[in-house]
Amino acid sequence: MQLDSKVPGGPLSEQWDKHRCELKLVNPANKRKFNIIVVGTGLAGGAASASLAELGYYVKTFCIQDSPRRAHSIAAQGGINGAKNYPNDGDSIQHLFYDTIKGGDFRARESNVYRLAQASVDIIDQCVAQGVPFAREYGGLLANRSFGGAQVSRTFYARGQTGQQLLLGAYSALSRQINAGKVEMFTRREMLDLVVINDQARGIIVRNLITGEIESHDADAVVLCTGGYANVFFLSTNAMASNVTASFRAYKKGAFFANPCFTQIHPTCIPVHGTFQSKLTLMSESLRNDGRVWVPKNPGDKRPANQIPESEREYYLENQYPSFGNLVPRDVASRRAKEQCDIGKGVGETGLAVYLDFAEAIERDGRDIIEKKYGNLFQMYEKITAENPYETPMMIYPAIHYTMGGLWVDYNLMSNLEGLFVLGEANFSDHGANRLGASALMQGLADGYFIIPYTIGGYLAGTSRKDITTDHPAFKDAVKMVKARMNNLLSIKGKRTVDDFHRELGLTLWEHCGMSRNEEGLKKAKEHIKGLQEEFWQNVTVPGREKDFNQSLERAGRVADFLEFSQVMIEDALERKESCGGHFNEAFQTDENEALRDDENFCHVSAWEFKGDDKDPEMHKEPLVFKNVELTQRSYK
Amino acid sequence: MTKAINLTLKVWRQQGPDLKGRLETYDAKNISTDMSFLEMIDVVNEKITLEGKEPIAFDNDCREGICGMCGAVINGRAHGPEKGTTLCQLHMRQFSDNDIIVIEPWRAKAFKVIKDLVVDRSALDKIIQAGGYISVNTGGAQDANSILVPQETAELAMDAAACIGCGACVAACPNASAMLFTSAKISQLALLPQGKPEAARRAIAMTRVMDKLGFGNCTNERECEAECPKEISITNIARMNREYLKASFISTVQ
Amino acid sequence: MYWLTKTFTTSIGKKILMALTGLSFCGFLTVHLIGNLTLYGGQDLFNAYVEHLHSLGPVITLFEWGLLLLAIIHILTGSILFFQNLISRPVRYKVNKNAGGRTLGSATMPYTGFILMLFIIFHLFDFHFVDHTNQTVYQIVSNSLSQIGLATIYLVAVIIAAVHISHGFWSLFQTLGANHPKYMPTIKNIGILFSLIIGIGFGFIPIFIAFIV
Repeated sequence: MQLDSKVPGGPLSEQWDKHRCELKLVNPANKRKFNIIVVGTGLAGGAASASLAELGYYVKTFCIQDSPRRAHSIAAQGGINGAKNYPNDGDSIQHLFYDTIKGGDFRARESNVYRLAQASVDIIDQCVAQGVPFAREYGGLLANRSFGGAQVSRTFYARGQTGQQLLLGAYSALSRQINAGKVEMFTRREMLDLVVINDQARGIIVRNLITGEIESHDADAVVLCTGGYANVFFLSTNAMASNVTASFRAYKKGAFFANPCFTQIHPTCIPVHGTFQSKLTLMSESLRNDGRVWVPKNPGDKRPANQIPESEREYYLENQYPSFGNLVPRDVASRRAKEQCDIGKGVGETGLAVYLDFAEAIERDGRDIIEKKYGNLFQMYEKITAENPYETPMMIYPAIHYTMGGLWVDYNLMSNLEGLFVLGEANFSDHGANRLGASALMQGLADGYFIIPYTIGGYLAGTSRKDITTDHPAFKDAVKMVKARMNNLLSIKGKRTVDDFHRELGLTLWEHCGMSRNEEGLKKAKEHIKGLQEEFWQNVTVPGREKDFNQSLERAGRVADFLEFSQVMIEDALERKESCGGHFNEAFQTDENEALRDDENFCHVSAWEFKGDDKDPEMHKEPLVFKNVELTQRSYK
Repeated sequence: MTKAINLTLKVWRQQGPDLKGRLETYDAKNISTDMSFLEMIDVVNEKITLEGKEPIAFDNDCREGICGMCGAVINGRAHGPEKGTTLCQLHMRQFSDNDIIVIEPWRAKAFKVIKDLVVDRSALDKIIQAGGYISVNTGGAQDANSILVPQETAELAMDAAACIGCGACVAACPNASAMLFTSAKISQLALLPQGKPEAARRAIAMTRVMDKLGFGNCTNERECEAECPKEISITNIARMNREYLKASFISTVQ
Repeated sequence: MYWLTKTFTTSIGKKILMALTGLSFCGFLTVHLIGNLTLYGGQDLFNAYVEHLHSLGPVITLFEWGLLLLAIIHILTGSILFFQNLISRPVRYKVNKNAGGRTLGSATMPYTGFILMLFIIFHLFDFHFVDHTNQTVYQIVSNSLSQIGLATIYLVAVIIAAVHISHGFWSLFQTLGANHPKYMPTIKNIGILFSLIIGIGFGFIPIFIAFIV
């Protein structure tokens, strides 16, 4: 099957304008007759729900938490990129576009990324108008800081809580529409299936997490904004409830899953410190603006940091990358940290950590300035580790943080399944093989505020759909399947808990499909996970009842999907015989241990199609064509 | 340094909203002091699950102190004894060997218990829905730098905007009042020039809904400020009162 | 005038009523205390002061009715707030601990308020609604306060009033929106000073009468 990305022709900078002009419009009076389902209320889902309702569509919005304000976008710390060029340091839309394409190691679609860079400017305006309290200069203008992978200051921020403030902005816009009766909000609902009728997405099946009731909802279009799947690794910086179920259920109903092996490791997380650990905590990348990364020069040096003299410290990022220094992209910084630890220079009790030192910055700028910039991050670090980062250097280590892969979408953000739109981290579209810092917020909001409102109208006006209700057999069948699966999980009554399986899955993936991968390891992991999955369906124990508030049952369903999904991920990693961005295959590296792409054979998107429970998925290629940038070996030297 | 401690938990267990609940006792053995409080409950829950019983239900999500999903009253203190900390960021090094820890859900008429430690906080959403926003549609905004905001104002607005909506202020207030929560949003938007056009309407609408939802009244006891994990100040309540007076006596809002 | 009743019947409105009436009582107490200081100057000075007050005639009556009205508002609103607050948490915590915000004054406001109400009624019947024809006010006061039991009641009541004010004073400014990092600490200090002045100023009178005169 040929995947049609529907990228408009013409010069890059005019494509989106031209496309918007060509999209069919829905008459304002008719908009209220269209029902749209939005699943998820993060930046993408919150922004989309609000914007669509403002236009006049009838929107039903679902979220898994008790309030739409809690989606995990809230945890983004450092900032959001916008090509405003307020600091007059040479930024432009073209520049942001190029940085993002290059940062993604040339595995993203040019047209989508350019549009993202264009929208970045409007996002900042929109958010300021909503009352997002971005940091300001004394004169009252907006402040900027720099982030990894860029040599300009284009990141807008609200202390270390930028994601929270942007999300609350979207949440407030959504709340306004709920109050106006334009959005019907369903909280504590988990999407368990997608309903497809005549090859069009027409509704969803959700479980009411309070009562356990299974509910059917029909619509003219379904918009998935359900985030990424980093929790497949068990330990990640994602929230506990983040999961792949909604995306994976859509995949099983025919939507293609693109580049699942592109997962991002974030270099600045608090190191793992025990087997009981339930999640990892990120320290914003913005810390690398002022913090210097170092390890002892001599392997095995176990002296405390303050006893290691300057001459015996190795600032390996500054040495290896003189022009970007500590601000190299995330994948590069992560791999270099792992490399140092692998040769025994790691610090801390486990030896799996490197230092991030603020002593110089504190001496230069004073403690007050540093506290103003990063105070809440330092406080968080101290709470978790009981060490004061103003006095001793922070210890950091890479952790799984974000997933670039996701459901395949075309230029309209519609999947290969008609009527199914996928926004934000849940789609694959903008970050290629590696996402730059402060770009996730940008993408989520661009998709929700500025892209879907146009493209969904084009779809609704341009396609015919049958009149259906939730009485349609497709809904009944889906409900039956969902219930059968839950009853199955409850009836196994085995000897291992859900978390126990999840932890084992995560460890296997971290070892073989994490920061670096090789064919042998991947194959081993695939075998192991197959066995684990079999054991899961025979030996898991899920207490409680179906029609009740039952967190064990919720988790069991998610882990069951993770077990299945991880195999697609490994398949994808095996198939991509090159290294690019977050996917580092040890067999493909330059002399300097950088990722070595194979543009001849792998300059494409791998989109996986579900073929049945007992069959391997089938891969479809969407070739990536670069007309405006030259494919180069990434260099941050 | 990492230590292992043994604890006795007394946890509020309640099957459903209208059923009777009671404190049940559990042993938490060999708990590392590096664990977070929620990880300690995870450990206890794994044990309960393997015994074939239903684990303790509790809300949590980000586990890094920002989503506002977690929260329980620990030995009479909302989010536990550490200042400026959510329950998920509370670490077991705050406790000693053989401590008895009583864990109760948020208690307020406006927050119904759903199960065990899980409560319904949708009342807080309803307060925001009444007016906790600036009425701008997507797309109509002018350039972000066209209105100057003094740095100090932006910082004050940010102080108020840091609210995570966890409900600890309500739980800690002797009167189960939601004034700190409501005032944080009213304050943030009243401070910023973008929020001023609607300030009067917002102040009246939000406080009216707050009253209707069954929260108690503020008696300036400052327990909310003392327990708020984001250390939001009651100066915001004073600002809300000013906004309320202005809206009532100066504006034309009915 | 619908808007006005609406303004003062909300949660914040009721607080504002409490604050405004409370502020008036602070003013009244100040004047009352200044007047009472004449007691220390002896019988003649005090009686002269009383005479002077009574000569104001209708103004005094007006003030008395005004005070009564303020008291009714303060007590009624306070009672409504108390009962509303009581039902806003139908299930109580098994373990209750302060986080550091509450003070003795703030935690006991409704109770000290209730006791003060009883005291004021007693005080009025003791000094005000008695036969003034055959005795001077000074005699009424000294007869009453020279009994140890009654003197103790007065002393305790005054201490309770001081506790009530220790929270009430800064709290009323907070309620009226006057909380600012620059001057709130001063308001709090003035509040403590004021409650001390009220406590000591009034409290010393029964001691003075019972033991010294």
